[in-house]
Amino acid sequence: MDLSIGTSGDIYQLAGVSKTYRKSGRDILAVRELDLDIRTGEWLAVQGKTGHGKTTLLQLLGGLDRPTRGRVAFSGQDLAAAPETQVRKVRASSFGFIFQTFNLVPTLTAHENVEAALIPLGVHHADRHARVRAALDSVGLGDRAQHLPGELSGGQQQRVAIARALVKEPKVLLADEPTGNLDEDTRDEIIALLDTLWRERRLTLVLVSHDSSVVRRAQRIGVMSRGRLSIRQDTRA
Amino acid sequence: MFFFTYLRRELRRRMRQAVFTALGLALGIGLVITVIGASSGVKAAQAKVLQALYGIGTDVTVTTKPKAPSGQRTSGQAVGAPLSGSSGGPRAEICLNGKCYTSGTVDTLVPANVGALSQSEVAQIARLHDVSAAAGGLALTDNRITLPSASNPNIQPPTSFTVDGTDISHPRLGPLSNARLTSGRAFTAADAHSDVALVDASYAASHNLELGSTTTVAGTKFTIIGLLSQPQASSPPDIYIPLARAQGLASDPATGKSMKAMVDTVYVTAASAADITAVQHEISRLLPQATVTSSADLASEITGSAASAAKLAGALGKWLAVLVLIAAFAVASLLTMAAVARRVPEFGTLKALGWRSSRIVGQVLGESVGTGILGGVVGVGLGFAGVAIIDKIAPRLSASVPSASGAFGTPQTITGPGGVSSGSVIGAPAASHTTISVPMSASVTIGAIVLAVLLAVAGGLLAGSFGGWRAARLRPAAALARVA
Repeated sequence: MDLSIGTSGDIYQLAGVSKTYRKSGRDILAVRELDLDIRTGEWLAVQGKTGHGKTTLLQLLGGLDRPTRGRVAFSGQDLAAAPETQVRKVRASSFGFIFQTFNLVPTLTAHENVEAALIPLGVHHADRHARVRAALDSVGLGDRAQHLPGELSGGQQQRVAIARALVKEPKVLLADEPTGNLDEDTRDEIIALLDTLWRERRLTLVLVSHDSSVVRRAQRIGVMSRGRLSIRQDTRA
Repeated sequence: MFFFTYLRRELRRRMRQAVFTALGLALGIGLVITVIGASSGVKAAQAKVLQALYGIGTDVTVTTKPKAPSGQRTSGQAVGAPLSGSSGGPRAEICLNGKCYTSGTVDTLVPANVGALSQSEVAQIARLHDVSAAAGGLALTDNRITLPSASNPNIQPPTSFTVDGTDISHPRLGPLSNARLTSGRAFTAADAHSDVALVDASYAASHNLELGSTTTVAGTKFTIIGLLSQPQASSPPDIYIPLARAQGLASDPATGKSMKAMVDTVYVTAASAADITAVQHEISRLLPQATVTSSADLASEITGSAASAAKLAGALGKWLAVLVLIAAFAVASLLTMAAVARRVPEFGTLKALGWRSSRIVGQVLGESVGTGILGGVVGVGLGFAGVAIIDKIAPRLSASVPSASGAFGTPQTITGPGGVSSGSVIGAPAASHTTISVPMSASVTIGAIVLAVLLAVAGGLLAGSFGGWRAARLRPAAALARVA
């Protein structure tokens, strides 16, 4: 089965994407008839109220869920139709996730949490350690490698989560409310860090947030409302 | 290795739950080991009983039913006149095998109430295909009666002791095979027709018999060449003499004939343990009238506290252990599933990072197997403790076993003019059961420990399988949604 859709400068091509959940016996349309192209290296921010489909969109982009209808093409490959094994491989190699609640494994040190992202890639032990150290250094936590998440502040934990997302050198960084659990100062630090990493590494960044001060750095800003996305600002060249 | 780092840290994080699960498994495993230990202790006690009766090397014994007494006076029944304590009055009389005695000491050697087999039948059995060795034996009782005389008008209490006619060419078969020589020497081939005897050390001590002294059997003096001790559980013969001499001195109380070339029990060793049943069939075909008994047959007929303990360990103990194990496995499985439920966001994150479901399942399995192994180690410890407690508190077990070769002794009465009521009995009618008291010693075997480890791993795998199955079914998006 040929799952390729045709390549262009767009890393993502979403066409007619809908996602319906069944909850308490009712169908809930989280995303409806969405058409969206995302360019390689673009920073797209998605705003919207809680429950309007932002996170669902991010999960569809990250291959964590499949649409009820439509196509989600990533680098020409339709994630909606690809077998789970293939989607998992894409997740492991191409997507870096950053979550609002950091989602670090509480029993593993910062070093081991970052290392966990390299396990599915089968990276050799020695190479793994070198890459983990480099990733932690890049987020300014080289000296906290042996600390458990519980011994780190919220901002530091999110930095570890960013290092975990970056260590595999992904094509896309998918951030779901990355500053939602942080105070203002830390929020600004994290956004500044993401901005720097996005620029230096030429990443494609899709960031979901309800915070206007966070999304304003993005090239393109969309708003999700009742499952529909409307682009409000586009500063791409 | 990342797998073990993650496993170790998770177990440490959930230490209390891991310890609780491990203790549950340990309890079940400890109980299994204790039951196995107790069961093997009971089996060992039963084996001691059987060894005591059969000898170590005997797989099968062959006996025949006793012939019915003829009812004639010459067949060993005694009829006497009333006893009198004064000279010239009525005199005591004892009649045996057609011969009546009114004075002196009557010393007879008679077999137990088991029918006789011929020496040629022993040879036939020895030639059977699956038979490794066969030896005849004679279990006899020496009865000694001193009749009243003018100088000693009071009737003397009769005495008796047991004598085993031993085939000295097969020392590893029959009652002598259990014995341990404490002083002197054993029989040699040269002793086959000699008046030499081996004496049970306890009997020798109680009758002031010493190595090199003589003892009288059926009126013949035998030189004591060795003293023996038998296992504590057994009730051994008092004196062992060469089979040929026993045959020469003994007479059949039913017929009055000599027991020359006769035996009452044939002890048989099969070529291998697997051949015992075949040997039984072969002997039954050869000697249809014979009773062929294996140690297994005898074991099934054991009664008394040994049998009760065996049943308790085999039935109640086994099912109790199984129930506790099932409960422990169920608790371990539920706890693992609960732990997986709490870790859903964690597994969702790992799936988002690209971890295979099998890797996550492996991690859960690894953790539960680790808990299982901890439970196994503690369980082995508990098993040792349980067995030690049983060893400490277990009473001696009694076992009643149908006598393989009949009991020593034969009915004889001494009567006076007043009739039978005035006589006394020498050697009660042969009892059909022998009761032996044996110590119970439970022990932990390597097999039990291996079983414990296997059970621990199985318990861990079972618990981990349920948890792992649940983790594998998680959709990443649904798992991550739990965080919110």
